[in-house]
Amino acid sequence: MSSTRTITIPHLGRVEGHGGIFVKVVGETVHEVNMDIHEGSRYYEALLVGKHFLEVQGIITRVCAICSANHTVATLTALEKALGISETERVHKLRGLLLLGAAVESHALHVFALALPDYLGFDSVMAMAVDYPEEVTFALRLKQLGNRVQELVGGRPVHPINTLVGGFGKLPSHRALEALRAELVQALDPLMRFVDLAAEIEVPRWAAQPTVYMALRPITEGYRFRGESICTSLGEEFPAEAYGNVVREFTVEHSHAKHAALASGDTYMVGALARLKLWGGRLEGRALEAFELLFPDGVADNILLNNWAQLVEIVLGLERGAELCDELLAMPEAQHEMAEYEVRAGRGVGAVEAPRGTLFHEYELDGEGLVVSANVITPTAQNLANTERDLRLAAENLLIEEPRRDDTELRLNLEMVARAYDPCISCSVHVVRGDS
Amino acid sequence: MRGDNRPKVGIFGLTGCAGDQLQILNCEDELLWLAAAVEIVDWVMVKSDNDSNCRLDIAFVEGAVATERDLETLKILRARSAFLVAIGTCAVWGGLPAMRNDISREILEREVCGTDLEDLDTIEARPATDFVPFDLRLSGCPIERNEFLQTVRSLLAGTVPELPVAPVCWECKTRENLCRVIYDHEVCCGAMTRAGCGARCPSHGVACSGCRGPVEEPNYDANITMFADRGISWKEISARMRSFSAPVWMTLGLEREVDHE
Repeated sequence: MSSTRTITIPHLGRVEGHGGIFVKVVGETVHEVNMDIHEGSRYYEALLVGKHFLEVQGIITRVCAICSANHTVATLTALEKALGISETERVHKLRGLLLLGAAVESHALHVFALALPDYLGFDSVMAMAVDYPEEVTFALRLKQLGNRVQELVGGRPVHPINTLVGGFGKLPSHRALEALRAELVQALDPLMRFVDLAAEIEVPRWAAQPTVYMALRPITEGYRFRGESICTSLGEEFPAEAYGNVVREFTVEHSHAKHAALASGDTYMVGALARLKLWGGRLEGRALEAFELLFPDGVADNILLNNWAQLVEIVLGLERGAELCDELLAMPEAQHEMAEYEVRAGRGVGAVEAPRGTLFHEYELDGEGLVVSANVITPTAQNLANTERDLRLAAENLLIEEPRRDDTELRLNLEMVARAYDPCISCSVHVVRGDS
Repeated sequence: MRGDNRPKVGIFGLTGCAGDQLQILNCEDELLWLAAAVEIVDWVMVKSDNDSNCRLDIAFVEGAVATERDLETLKILRARSAFLVAIGTCAVWGGLPAMRNDISREILEREVCGTDLEDLDTIEARPATDFVPFDLRLSGCPIERNEFLQTVRSLLAGTVPELPVAPVCWECKTRENLCRVIYDHEVCCGAMTRAGCGARCPSHGVACSGCRGPVEEPNYDANITMFADRGISWKEISARMRSFSAPVWMTLGLEREVDHE
């Protein structure tokens, strides 16, 4: 009779939100792998129905703190499409800067404080600071810099308040932009030293397997976090408006969040690794340097490398952030910027690349500007099915390698896989609408 | 650590966006000081080796109670902790998850998920402070970093922090902003909302949405009348008021405004 072994991680640490992992092994076969999501539901989409469009951003950003700037830009983009408003050049650039700030903050938090302790053998970034004081201090400074960008553009680091339909409440002064630019540039050299260090860390391959990737085609020729069409590594491309047909959601028993797959049935990965896989060829400057150092043979299929993909994007965030400051400084200084528009009925989709992957928002407004329906699909929900797929492979490989591997080690390794996706569990829960 | 007499601290989240825990992490300049000044023994968002049973000298809890599991967690935390601090508007006032408690969870569930999930343990979202006694409450969506740090410093010094009691309106006047109600005829909750944010929104040209929760004894009726006198429709007033502090406004007369619609 074959023995049954279960590995349970009741509460996954160093991730945002409440989730766990359950693995059941019978004999030598991995029978069941569940990423349990037990975060409470907040029903934001239903709560939005009947709200005025001017209130939507302030409500929906509260879905998630770490991704609040990304939810903000996706929401405003969708609402402006519904209302027929086109972004002015300055608003477009400022929103781009906001997304870069969010990426720098979120990635710095994840790479250094949540993921790296696994690779260096610590339980937390605070414990790591005892042995690596300078490195941790720099990592925190980097995170702070991402927040400073969000503060300047969005009014505060969490849940932006300065970002409005049609424009901004208050524009950053040239003086503030100049100061920010200087800080972004200054952080580049020390960051590149980190990249060198990271390139020497050996990344295990027990979770590596061929994967389908999805990311938005960047809005311009560069490497950007906004786009109008969805691309997959299978070579497919769809307009963002068709996201509902591309992302097929389904419910699973063990999760408060839905799972997703493509029409082909393939599960897929969204996030920094997917973006690099699809658009890494567009990188320039120091970001390209970092990419080549960390991915000498191009993007390999291995979810643990998502941490390094995020590191490349931090470099990009600083570099492109400084460029955007320059572009904004070249424009005449102003206090306000607000598009003129008439309220009308309409429907709009907004898609952005959040730190964790592609995020979709869709709203329908009536003639008075009240929300008729709302839909949000988050990156973490899209990644859940693929996370389980990688967890299964990791469990299998680790047990083949050493069948008597002890639970503590196995648990840590499985946690590393889940953490590599940088899951944002608050986001993932029930902000998806079923096929009606 | 043997002989470690630093206070044992835990940081927890119920149902919410993790924004208040993130604000603690956003104290980048003070985070290492904090980790040295207190012993953080249980913080799932940031640590993997957590002691989930030990006695806590201070516990910080964010989020609303929206599941049976949340309630269980909260009761255990109260029992474990000498000093329990609610952080953020969801924990203190219910926040946005509680803004439509007039709609049943079953209906919300069907609208968002399209189906009824059988094992769903979601209950009406309510502030954590409704269920167990708290020793201190820090409002804000999210909390202000300086108020959190001031709280830690005060508790380390054996006292409690002095938190602002004035309304946002007062801070707004000191910043010399033009009034959003008087000049722009907007529903601005600044006169009824707890200060501490430095009137951030009105200073950016945006009306206060009340994210820090109500001041003590807000003059609700006078405020609502002031909005109506500016020609703002009842529909707009009731929609705007039904947000961060909706459960409180409902007890003060928001239901009446809804009837006006």
